[in-house]
Order: sequence, then structure tokens, then C-alpha cells
Amino acid sequence: MLEALDAPYLQRALLAGLVLSIPLGLLGCWIVLRELAFFAHAVGVATFPGVVVGLALPALGPFAGALLAALGFSAAISASEADHRLRGGAATGLALAVALAAGAVLLTARGGGAAPVDRLLFGSLLAVSSADVVLCLVGAAVAVGVLAVLLPRLAATTFDRTWAGPAGAGERVSASALLVLVSLVVVCALPAVGSLLVSALLVVPAATARLITERLAPMLAWATGLCALETVAGLLLARALDLPPGAAIAVVTGLGFGVIAAASAAASRLTRVAPA
Amino acid sequence: MSADGSPTVATSGLSVSFGSRQALEDVSFELRSGTFTGVLGPNGAGKTTLLGALLGTIAHRGSARVEGRPAYVPQAGAIDASFPIDALGVVLMGRYPRLGWRRRPGPDDRRRARELLEQVGLAAEARTSFGALSGGQRQRALVGRALAQEGDVLLLDEPLTGVDAPSAEVLLEVFEAERRSGRTVVMTTHDLAQAARVCDRLLLLNRSLVAAGRTDEVFRSEVLRRAYGGDLLLIDGQTALLDDAHHHH
Repeated sequence: MLEALDAPYLQRALLAGLVLSIPLGLLGCWIVLRELAFFAHAVGVATFPGVVVGLALPALGPFAGALLAALGFSAAISASEADHRLRGGAATGLALAVALAAGAVLLTARGGGAAPVDRLLFGSLLAVSSADVVLCLVGAAVAVGVLAVLLPRLAATTFDRTWAGPAGAGERVSASALLVLVSLVVVCALPAVGSLLVSALLVVPAATARLITERLAPMLAWATGLCALETVAGLLLARALDLPPGAAIAVVTGLGFGVIAAASAAASRLTRVAPA
Repeated sequence: MSADGSPTVATSGLSVSFGSRQALEDVSFELRSGTFTGVLGPNGAGKTTLLGALLGTIAHRGSARVEGRPAYVPQAGAIDASFPIDALGVVLMGRYPRLGWRRRPGPDDRRRARELLEQVGLAAEARTSFGALSGGQRQRALVGRALAQEGDVLLLDEPLTGVDAPSAEVLLEVFEAERRSGRTVVMTTHDLAQAARVCDRLLLLNRSLVAAGRTDEVFRSEVLRRAYGGDLLLIDGQTALLDDAHHHH
């Protein structure tokens, strides 16, 4: 299996996957801790009509189209969540369904052909171009840099919003920056895992990491490491069994979570049965 | 910090309304540095709202002014106890706002955070995760975080509610030490008797200001009755409050 790594397309896929793992794992932790998993999934789906429009308008292009759609979606959801009657994901769920439908309608209206729908929704890591890899590198560098600066603020505001606001811990700035970063990283990851599966890498490794540790720094490290490991494992599995890589990676993250969740449940039962 | 005894917390004609409900109406008072003020009043009297107005997080009319920097201890219920952080990390958070955007907490910040943990009696729990601490220990960690802010005015929202007696003793000692070092300490509370015992000033609220002044001037049945009405009971000259924690307006 490993001799296949000589193939340039596979090397590009591995490089893109490993580079993306860093911002996906780090951002994922904040998404899990701030209970934004559903929102993050919806941002991924919201890029779908954006990509279709971007493909139809060469002046815009799929990257800019997706990014504009993701940012527009984030801004609209943040604004509507300010209305307490729509809290708890109602607006997110509605916009998710509308985005998926709009993407399908636009794709059909355009006559299809150039972009098969499964590739837009599930990605094609084995088909990423060198330009995609460069985009991943730039997106990852920006996201990691901004997250490093925001880290203390994000921790303080996620832990206790009531205190962080008056203490001057930059509550609004960190919340807005986080939404922009989610949009950016999701769009960078689209060619690799597509709009429906990006949330698997954004949420599942971080959720798994949360079960492993009670400290923030190890959680960030675990999430990044798991994301990289599961991407590589999924990619090799896809090569070996001739599966779509995005789906194989998502299945591996799910299995990883299942194993750790079962182990964590067993461990807590053991400590309850035999108290120290 | 301002000179000893000068006003550090002041409101003038302070009014707050939430929709059609008037939460505070025309409240004016001054608190000086080196004092420990208990803010008393029945549920819905506007105690937490008053702190919010002083912190600038609640829109208000009139003025609500804090001289110097405020440090704040919110009610513990608002906190995400599942966040992965230990007691030392919570106290260290108090240093973040003063570090600015570029700097990270350094060895000095860590040393100070450990000293503060010692002061609130949590030295042994430094690496215990916040979620695993008892209610009283959590409150001590949050007070440690506020002390790490090194503010001039300490605003405490119900810091002793639901806190075990040993924790309450530790916290009251900490508040008293802050007062002695010249800070202005303001604490909202449900506990009339405790406030009378530990605070040197009382501020009695019931949407409007009922009374403000030295504890011996305010803690009198005829004054308290103006805020609490029929919920106040007199037994052998002792004041008792009937069922305030479950009182609803």
C-alpha cells in the first residue's frame, strides 16, 4: 500500500489533509466547547450554493463564492440568534435546509456537467490540485496565527461570558473572529472533504479529544493529532478499498470517537465500582 | 488608586428599565475607598442590575461611575463548569485583560496566581479541574480570578450564596483584607445578618434607594421595613427575614 505514496496526487492529498488538520483540530475545540457544532455543520452546507454560483461566474470563482456564502451565512445566523425567540438552532436548521435546496436548484438551473454534485458535497481529496494545497497552506497559516493570538481571550470568554465582557477580555472580537475563521477553514477544506463532510473533521476529533482530557492545552493537541491521524488513515483506507476519500475519513473519525467514548464510559464505570 | 476616603463608586439619578419594567429608579449614592458595602434588598430589588450599570454592561439613564478599574465576581451559576480548566487556570484568566493582545501570562503572572490561590485557600487544588471543585471552592477560584485583575473596586454578586461555611469565612477574610488595603468592596447579598456583621456600609435597595450609610444607621428595623415590608420579622429585638430566598415578585 505504501508504495502508492509515490504517486504525486496522493502526496498532494496527504499534504493537504495534514496541513488542514491543524486549523480543523484547533478550531474544532472551540466549536465543541462553545456548542457550535450544528452551526459549523451548517456553515459547511451554506458554501454549497456559493460554490455553484462561483463556478457559474468565472469572475467570482468557487473559492470566493463559497467564502462569501459562508461569511454571509455566519453573519445572518449571528444576527438572528440575537432574537431570543430563534435561539437553540431554529434559524441554523432553517438556513441549512434552504442552502442545500438553493445549491441543488442552482446546479440544475445551470445545466450540471462541469461539477458533479457528489464532488461538491463530499469532496475529492485525491483530486486536489497544487493550487488547492497552496490555498490550504495559506488558510491554515492565517487560522493558526489568529487562534494563537486569540487563545487566552477565547478561553476566558468561553468559560465565563458574564465576567469576560466587563473585564475587557475582548468578548465580541473573539466571537466574531472565530466565526470568520470557521468560514475560512471550511472553505479551504471544501476541495478535500466537501461541504457535507467538513463538519466531521471540524467537530468529531475535537469531541473525541474532549473525552480524553480535562485540560485545554492537551485537548487542543489531541484534537489536532487525531484529525491528522484520522485523515491519513481514512485516505489509506480509501486507496486500499477504492472508497471515496472524504467519506472514508468521516467514517474513520466516527469510529475513533466510538472507540474513545466506549473506553471513557468503561473507565468511569471502573472508577465507580472500585473507589480509590 | 485614588486617595484614601475619596469617592470611587458613585451613581447619580441612575435609572434602568427592561422593557416596561422599571428595575432601578433615580438611585444616587457615593462609596469611598477603604469601605466594604453590602447591597441589600428583596429579590428583584435591582442589586445585580446595579452592578451591571456600574460595569457598563447594562444600558441606563443618569450616571454610574467607577473610579479606577473594577474587578468583578459574577454569580457562579452563569459559568460553564464543564470547560476544561483547573483552578490555577481560572485565577490566571484574571491576568489576561491587563496583558493586552500580544503578551502571554509569564512566570510573574503564574507566581501571582499561585499566591492568590494560597490566599483563597485553594493551593492544594491548583491543578484540580474547575468542574471537580465544590461550590464553595469554585466561588473561591472566581474570587481569586477577580483579585488577579488587581482592580481598585471589587464588585461581588452574591459571592456567599450557596457557599459552605468554611469557604464563606475564607472569602470574608479576603474581602476584609481588600478593604484594609484601600480598595472599595461592594457585595450584593440576601443575608441581612451576615451583611450587618461584616460590612461597614449598607445600601438598601428596592428599585429605588431606601437607605445608604453606616451599618449602624441602616441596620434598624424601621429602615429595613421600608425595603422588605411584611417579610421582615422582629423577635426579641432581633431582626429576621422570612423566606427571602424563595420570595418572588
